[in-house]
Amino acid sequence: MQSNISRRLVLKSAALTAAAAATGSLFGSYAQAEEAALSVFGPLPPDPAPPGAAKFAEAAFEAWKAANGASVNYELLAWPQLHDRMATAFASGSAPWDIMYMCGWVPEFESFLLPFVDSLPADLIADLPESSFKTVTSNGKRYGTVFTLSLLTLFYNKEHLERAGFKEPPKNWDEFKRYTKELTRDGRFGYVANYAEAAGIGGAASYWMAFLQQAGGTMFGEGGLPVFKSDAGVDALQMMIDLMASGTEPGSISYAGINDASNVFMSGRASMMMNWPYMWNPAQDPKQSQIVGKLAASILPAGPAGTASIDGTDTWTISKASTNPEKARKLIEFYLDKDVQKRQALDTGWLPSRLSVLGDPEVQAKLPIAKVVLDQAQHPYDSFVTADYTQVSQAIGTEVQKALQGQKTAVEAITEAHELVTAIVKRRG
Amino acid sequence: MATTFEKRRQNVGVLLLTPALIVIAAILGYPIVRSALLAFQDVKLRAGKLDQVWVGLGNFRRIFSDEGLQHAALNTLYFSVMEVILVVGIGLVLALLLNQPQGRGGFLKILLVIPWAIAPVANAVLWKWILSSNYGVLNGLLKSLGLIDNYQVWLGTPFSALNFLLLVDVWKSIPFVTLLLLAALQRVPVVLHRAAFMDGASSFQSFRHITLPAIKDAIGIAVILQTIWSLRVFDIVFVLTRGGPADGTVLLNFLAYRVTFNFLDIGYGAAIANVIFILTFALAISYLWLLKPKTTVGAE
Repeated sequence: MQSNISRRLVLKSAALTAAAAATGSLFGSYAQAEEAALSVFGPLPPDPAPPGAAKFAEAAFEAWKAANGASVNYELLAWPQLHDRMATAFASGSAPWDIMYMCGWVPEFESFLLPFVDSLPADLIADLPESSFKTVTSNGKRYGTVFTLSLLTLFYNKEHLERAGFKEPPKNWDEFKRYTKELTRDGRFGYVANYAEAAGIGGAASYWMAFLQQAGGTMFGEGGLPVFKSDAGVDALQMMIDLMASGTEPGSISYAGINDASNVFMSGRASMMMNWPYMWNPAQDPKQSQIVGKLAASILPAGPAGTASIDGTDTWTISKASTNPEKARKLIEFYLDKDVQKRQALDTGWLPSRLSVLGDPEVQAKLPIAKVVLDQAQHPYDSFVTADYTQVSQAIGTEVQKALQGQKTAVEAITEAHELVTAIVKRRG
Repeated sequence: MATTFEKRRQNVGVLLLTPALIVIAAILGYPIVRSALLAFQDVKLRAGKLDQVWVGLGNFRRIFSDEGLQHAALNTLYFSVMEVILVVGIGLVLALLLNQPQGRGGFLKILLVIPWAIAPVANAVLWKWILSSNYGVLNGLLKSLGLIDNYQVWLGTPFSALNFLLLVDVWKSIPFVTLLLLAALQRVPVVLHRAAFMDGASSFQSFRHITLPAIKDAIGIAVILQTIWSLRVFDIVFVLTRGGPADGTVLLNFLAYRVTFNFLDIGYGAAIANVIFILTFALAISYLWLLKPKTTVGAE
């Protein structure tokens, strides 16, 4: 067999190889750019939107994209639409996102998520409240990072309390009821809440869950079955009923969202309410509030077992189907960067989740609520999210509403709720 | 030759209709069939995908033992019956008034159409503000008239909330039915009324024996359409009450949504939706039957 190798052939081959390499690198660059296109699904402002969507840390965000060769595409919806949009996207097999916002839905969508938390830098994990991982942990794996510490605390109108002769906020349930009663005067009410929405975090059931923990109770036992048909469960609901009778603003049963109740509080027609930290800024804004300079906050009044709260659980997660999980993780690390978290707090009012930033003097000076939330975080705050949290909280919330309206006693409502939740859990299997 | 031409003409007609039929089959037929299939399955999001297991009539059997659904069905029955009575009754009265010489101005008809023309969600938000227990116009108005001492929580109890939802939907639905009945009234020959008057008939007798028989098909259509629409009510429940308080305003359509999208129990949600679909379909057939031209005695 005659060899055909010649100098001309070698040169030709070299030229072709060089051309292929050049072309390859061009395609390679293109492919790399494509790989770094991240899609993020989250809420529209004023809910906790990420940098670039909400007005904070915008320059840092641009710098991060340039440094990481990434483009970030946001798909943002009004908060109430998020869950259903995700559910339909997962069901139809067309969830195109790398990073997704979750709010207590991690156990529900667990099979679509990547357990990435263990890949995060140790110093970052150590700077996040350990208990905040509870709502993003399912079957022993951690699927998300809470990016704003959002615990219910007690907001109150200092002026109203002072006029009624109270020098400090209520410390326990008895004081809470007494304050509510005595603050209900002159066309105002002692307390306001939003009980019209039964389900979800922020619904009637979740308020009861805060009281349940204050009474020393819990939702589920070791086997996953409900255990709240207890003295604590009944006491918690009775406390809500008593508060209603003491002077809860009557419209509370018809307010579907926290904003409806907050409007009553910010107009000065109610003296106290359980609220989320993000409402601090609007309540101090003269365009929205008539109680500017009169607002104060404290940890929630203690029940028989002490104070306790629930967690808003605003979380970033990574899709299992993401083609860029590494880059997605880096973007979440950026969202949790100390400077970005600080800007998040100062510019949007959404508290950071990093403990070091929560303790930052500048943050605490601008948002006094940060210190209160840090104090509240020293006590239990479990939102009891499970794979069927919406259904469970719907069942409990409906019974809570019946009790608040006098259709049932606390014992009857808790007994019925317990049976309904048991059936839901057993059906899940 | 003529038969061949007719056949060719029909074939061309079928050919021309085919694209439209394919589109209709795709956008209407496929979802209906898919939804019907889902109703016979246990469909859950498991293991990163939609897990579907055939359960036969299991979901439909569950309907009969689900107290929440039975409560929603009773709410829907009350809502639909009351809505049809109120909308058709008030619509008929308004149509009779608009049929009078003083009521024939275009301005009144434009005014009438406004509630119907408002987008459903905008309408619900509008009423949310009107009914607010804190700063609602309704409370302010009633208090200024001295009819109430304190602001009322109109959406505070199940019964009150359901009836206010009814009021909101009636307000929105009346214009269409009024115009439908007005069109029917305007087709009644005036000569009949004149003849009745000459024969000494009273206004009521004239209405009872001439007007009503003449517009009974239009009333039937209004009843059927309004029943169909009342079964589909969703937006006002979602915006105003979210089914509360204490599930007092959960209607079947809202329940189907909640079970499917909130609870992600997709198979059972499809079963509920299919029950609504069957009811609506039966009503639609009645509607078509009413629209069908009637042969009168001796017409041949």
